[in-house]
Amino acid sequence: VKKRLVKLVVNFLFYFRTDEAEPIGALLLEHCRITKEEENVFSISFVEEPERKYCFECDSEEQCQEWIEALKRASYEFMRRSLIFYRNEIQKMTGKDPLEQYGISEEARFQLGTRKQ
Amino acid sequence: MKLNERSLAFYATCDSPADNAGFLYKRGERHTAYHRRWFVLKGNMLFYFEERESREPVGVIVLEGCTVELCDSAEEFAFAIRFSGTKSRTYVLAAESQAAMESWVKSLSRASFDYMRLVVRELEKQLEEMRWGLTGGCGGCQESPGSWKTKPSGPQRSPEQLLALPAVLPKENGCAVWNNVPGEDRPPNTSGCGRYDGEGNPRPPPLPPRRRASSSEAGSAAGAAAESLSTFCQLHERYGREVARLRQDWLERRRGPRP
Repeated sequence: VKKRLVKLVVNFLFYFRTDEAEPIGALLLEHCRITKEEENVFSISFVEEPERKYCFECDSEEQCQEWIEALKRASYEFMRRSLIFYRNEIQKMTGKDPLEQYGISEEARFQLGTRKQ
Repeated sequence: MKLNERSLAFYATCDSPADNAGFLYKRGERHTAYHRRWFVLKGNMLFYFEERESREPVGVIVLEGCTVELCDSAEEFAFAIRFSGTKSRTYVLAAESQAAMESWVKSLSRASFDYMRLVVRELEKQLEEMRWGLTGGCGGCQESPGSWKTKPSGPQRSPEQLLALPAVLPKENGCAVWNNVPGEDRPPNTSGCGRYDGEGNPRPPPLPPRRRASSSEAGSAAGAAAESLSTFCQLHERYGREVARLRQDWLERRRGPRP
């Protein structure tokens, strides 16, 4: 069990030794699963290697929940899905595509049923 | 710096939609020779492969805090991804046509997480404004007429609950204790957000919102909108399934009729 400074920046979780400025490493938070383990503990595991868990023990249950919520929403894929969801909702309510004003309504990543590359 | 490379490689090659893909010439770091590589843009990451069929990328460029610009180069259709900072490098790439170059510059300059977050927040705000406008700021459509309780001032479901994105980023904890033990066999805990109410009893899923051609009816459309607002996560789950199903249909149709 090692003490680390942990920093969530966009879809990466960086970790540092507490007295160092450069991170030791980072975890890309795409296609991962955040799970509450025992008290104050959560884990991150990845789709392609589900048996391997990166466990984190927090100072309190509250801090633990905060991190779980933040990490669950940290992926780019989650944001993409949110965007599609909101776009759909707004379109249903107004009949207009809200992405048109940004000139990005045709982008592949915002379509339902996007093709595989 | 260590990275969960296997996860990165998985993300690069899995079937989530790529925002752009194609051959580009990449200028070497030390030598100025260009090498042709297969590039795949997914989210805020630009992966490159030796060949189109390669199973693993040879490298990745994380597109945060960078600018994408055209550049002066002997090579035609060249552009650069420039990072600030003394230790940072500039990646010079060249496309095979004017159209390809424009397409790449456009998609790369919009690839950052921050850009995406900006657009999502903007849409979230629009949606919230529309919904609160419809319901008149009241989330009590599910109450039975007989029992009128005094509500706390303000809507039952606060705007904070509707916002899916963390309000403050990046996030630091001060310190966290790490225990990296491979092969830990703890049973996975299915704690989804919003699935349980305060007492830990499962909530029934929300009724799907009624699809209406015009949204001008205040009454039942507002009711449907308020119900469907129960939690974003529940709706997110449901839409995720819908999207997955649509993709499946689309892929099957694309395969065409079987002989």
